[in-house]
Amino acid sequence: MKVSVDQQRCQGHTLCSMIAPDSFRLDDIDGHSSPVSAVVAPGQQDLVREAARSCPEQAIFIEEETP
Amino acid sequence: MSVDDTVADSDRRKNRYFFDRHSAQYRLQFEQITEQMHATCPVAWSDTYGGHWVAAGSREVFELARCPQVSNHHDLTGQTPFKGISIPYAKRVNGVRGGILEMDDPEHRVYRNVLNPYLSPAAVKRWEPFIDDVTRACLDEKIENGRIDFVDDLANIVPAVLTLAMLGVPLTKWAIYSEPTHAAVYTPEDSPEIDQVIAMHRQMGLDLLDNMIQIREHPRPGLVNALIQLRIDGEPAPDLEIMGNLGLIIGGGFDTTTALTAHSLEWLSQHPGQRELLSTQRDALLNPATEEFLRFFTPAPGDGRTFSGDVEVAGTHFRQGERLWISWAMANRDPSVFADPHEVVLDRKGNRHFSFGIGVHRCIGSNVARTVFKSMLTAVLDRMPDYRCDPGGTVHYDTIGVIQGMRHLPATFTPGPRVGAGLPETLAKLQRVCDEQGLARPITERKEAAVID
Repeated sequence: MKVSVDQQRCQGHTLCSMIAPDSFRLDDIDGHSSPVSAVVAPGQQDLVREAARSCPEQAIFIEEETP
Repeated sequence: MSVDDTVADSDRRKNRYFFDRHSAQYRLQFEQITEQMHATCPVAWSDTYGGHWVAAGSREVFELARCPQVSNHHDLTGQTPFKGISIPYAKRVNGVRGGILEMDDPEHRVYRNVLNPYLSPAAVKRWEPFIDDVTRACLDEKIENGRIDFVDDLANIVPAVLTLAMLGVPLTKWAIYSEPTHAAVYTPEDSPEIDQVIAMHRQMGLDLLDNMIQIREHPRPGLVNALIQLRIDGEPAPDLEIMGNLGLIIGGGFDTTTALTAHSLEWLSQHPGQRELLSTQRDALLNPATEEFLRFFTPAPGDGRTFSGDVEVAGTHFRQGERLWISWAMANRDPSVFADPHEVVLDRKGNRHFSFGIGVHRCIGSNVARTVFKSMLTAVLDRMPDYRCDPGGTVHYDTIGVIQGMRHLPATFTPGPRVGAGLPETLAKLQRVCDEQGLARPITERKEAAVID
């Protein structure tokens, strides 16, 4: 599973890092988010999905692995 | 206007709703009105206040708030339709724009970039020990007698003191700033008290101006200094725009967090089982509960906008110059996004609420609001765990057109011991700490958290 944050959409609401602190890091200066790593660790996947659902700007995009 | 335009207008505005959010009825019937609008007209034309659109549905609010043809700009000359964020037009503005909230990009971005390093999550985190100490002192003032007014004695004070600290204004001045800021929101224009409120507001404005002049002559760190140091094409920002932004920071920093805290404490008093759950499982629940209280109570219920061009959004045609009310509060109750929207669910999932706005104008103080709220809430849960609010003494704002707020929230609780100094002594100490440690510097200059002795 891969995750990305659309930098044009993210406005720094910070819900993603509240929900999945190990998967998203916030910029010190404006609080905008970026993934810690594009590839999501297996133990983090549910939290990252919940972060994507909870993003007020709908700025988080997930690519699920195709079997 | 031609006949064709008239016909087109009636067709464009076929979804109509008499929307008066400043009426007491709107507060009392908020859930029914919201359900009705979601079911029949998620975007509606209302003839109230000179005529304006109202966006209530979550999809419509989301799209309109992010639409490039939807403007926040406030033209003080009155020669163009751009009237900023107030509907009806705010007569009291007295020739000052509401800071970045009444600017569009690129101008908005220039000012916002200067404010961000003081208000980012990392910047606000440094203030946590300071905030907790103000909260502690407020509770210490009341802990021994078993009675507190959560608005007057706590939620009015902590946000005000922190905001002044961040601005670089002396902490002891908090009352000069706090009272008129709240009163300006809840006092109607036709009230007998309005003259006194305006006088207090003027006193606050003069003090702010005085601070601006002092800081210009003898710079000290904080948001005031940031705006003074700002250069736009080599020129300093106009004083009126600096004052407008400072007014926005004060207006945004005070009443909203007070409103959120009071409503949440009132709800928790009415739901003691949920309060117990939140207190004992706060590691898991404090964050989602905070977001849920933000969603449910939506302290800042919406914002006005102006269409800067003709545009079609979510199936409705809007014309240049038309006014629009974007209701964050109603979008927050849309059942297509939030299951059981009128229920408080402390561990709600997928809570992509609208309470801090959407798009480039996301509330710049959102990190401050959350941090201050959590400090006050957890301290009350720890030190006054059995508190009971007194419905007889509780005073909500009569209307929720501007802020969904509360004037008084008295409560009783089992008394406990003081753990530190009272408020005046604490503020004197914290002022020294601010000055010695340069707490009000931006995150780019200071990374360390405040150290409270």
